[in-house]
Amino acid sequence: MSMTSIVTTRRGKPIDAWRWIGRIFLVMMLFYTAVPMAWMLLTSIKSGFAAMQLPPQWLPNEPTLASYKKLLDPNNSVGQDFLRFFWNSLFVSTMTTALAVIVAVPAAYAFSRFDFPGRKFLFFAVLLRNMFPAVIFLVPLFILMRLLGLVNTHGSLILTYLTFGLPLAIWLLKGFYDNIPYQLEQAARIDGATRFQAFVLIVMPLSAPGIVATAIYSFIGAWNEYIFAYTFLNKNEQLTLPVGIQRFFSENTTDFPGLMAASFMMSLPVVVLFLLLQRYFVRALTEGAVKH
Amino acid sequence: MTMATGLVDAPLKAKAKRFGFLRQAWDHRFDYLYVLPAIVVMLIVIAYPIYYTVELSFFTTPPSLQLRDKEFVGIDNYGLILSSDVFWRVTANTFIWTLASTAFAFTLGLGSALALNHEFLGRGVLRAILIIPWVISAVAASYIWKWIYHSDFGLIGAVLVGLGLAERPPNLIDSVGTVLPSLIVVNVWREFPFAMIMLTAGLQTVPDQLLRAAKVDGAGAWQRFWHVTFPHLQGVSTVTILLLAVSNFNSFIIPWIMTGGGPSNASHIWITHIYELAFGRQRWGIASAYSVLLFLTLMTLGYFYVRALSSAENKERVA
Repeated sequence: MSMTSIVTTRRGKPIDAWRWIGRIFLVMMLFYTAVPMAWMLLTSIKSGFAAMQLPPQWLPNEPTLASYKKLLDPNNSVGQDFLRFFWNSLFVSTMTTALAVIVAVPAAYAFSRFDFPGRKFLFFAVLLRNMFPAVIFLVPLFILMRLLGLVNTHGSLILTYLTFGLPLAIWLLKGFYDNIPYQLEQAARIDGATRFQAFVLIVMPLSAPGIVATAIYSFIGAWNEYIFAYTFLNKNEQLTLPVGIQRFFSENTTDFPGLMAASFMMSLPVVVLFLLLQRYFVRALTEGAVKH
Repeated sequence: MTMATGLVDAPLKAKAKRFGFLRQAWDHRFDYLYVLPAIVVMLIVIAYPIYYTVELSFFTTPPSLQLRDKEFVGIDNYGLILSSDVFWRVTANTFIWTLASTAFAFTLGLGSALALNHEFLGRGVLRAILIIPWVISAVAASYIWKWIYHSDFGLIGAVLVGLGLAERPPNLIDSVGTVLPSLIVVNVWREFPFAMIMLTAGLQTVPDQLLRAAKVDGAGAWQRFWHVTFPHLQGVSTVTILLLAVSNFNSFIIPWIMTGGGPSNASHIWITHIYELAFGRQRWGIASAYSVLLFLTLMTLGYFYVRALSSAENKERVA
């Protein structure tokens, strides 16, 4: 019936035709995924002149790190801007992450352990967050931020990212708390620990992977966010990387090596972070959807 | 109060049932302290803007956004939108964009998850490489692809010319016919890894014994997939497809950075169009009315989303 029984090797053992289809498919996916990234890297080590040739230099004839040096040199204006954007992104993302963990940990714990009316609210908050695009919130949020005097401050971004990241962060963490047996806490409390002590001494350490996952999620989200940063900030010295790179491109429309080098350096921190910690992250992300 | 709960007699119990929600809420009042910070922040930043958007959709405001000068116009904003040609063009784009992106991202993600589902040398590395596009910022991805699609020096044009398939590099994102498919390719590039991750996790729930038993009984690879693996993936697939659909419907960065909606609205989708109306042309009332329409569409989508999620949840519970 299936293809396996039709194709056989000389030894009469069936070749798994599907396995070969799978391999060819994977090679194609690798191409689709990796070629754009490789092209970004190859372009970033060309000179502006070398990048604009036809036929192109597939591999740069004279590789150069000039674009990277320019971006990282605090003594010229491009480097000054880039480093400042980088620092701004780092500050905003770190603050968002720290606050998200502080607010999400107790909330997730409560959603996991206590049975109070309105628990379902979490579920709907996650939905709301996922369903409604940022643009819907932009105009009123912009007005709200003006009211709070936060326009053109990093505070506006941190507050916004925190809010939009919270529901999923709570949801992720709740999955971890659900998996920690309640008996462990009960045992600690029988031994005289208060609920808070049991939480800090027993539950927190066990849920460390979940906290790490939540932190990565918040950090990557804040690091890559564009619309709010684009709308709330307009002073050059406050821009974060995504908006900063856009500004860089609009001022240097033909400097593709510079643009690719900037894109690479902007991607590097989150990609490294993700690859180091992907096990936790992937586990947390799928926990809710698969196991419940 | 709390301590007495166990001792209430019958009439009091009936009363408690009538005020069940409040009563329970009171009994659990301290539990709310844990969620209070999260709820306060979300009320300010989510609930208030929703209310405000609905209100503003019935007004016109001057470009300066001096809100005291706003003028009540009833449902005129909605009438203007529904009778404009651009609206229908953008709506068609949005649906093509959402459906095509979701279908391709899901299919490629499923294929990758299945192909990576057995041990082989280098599997971990391959999986990591396939996930990277999902982690890269959409802004960086947009610029990488803008450069690949470049109409003079882009990689795709160079390859096509090099192979003799084209005389000169094609104008992929500057022409009305090809812009939307070209952007969908970029979007799928960024999104299929998400489907892959979700489905990889889903595959862990397929019992090995069942697959082995099916093999012993002579089931081929396709039969094993269709009769054993696939039924186990249904819950995850539903969730994944809906999450993808919603996030595609809400896309902004890729079209905004790569084309700004052009040429002649060919790559405008709802969100980019709303953004341009609000922040580009300062037509806040119309943009708000647009947002409300978007909202209603999403509510409809969301209805199915909640139903699918809760039925997936119930299935897990029963299993």
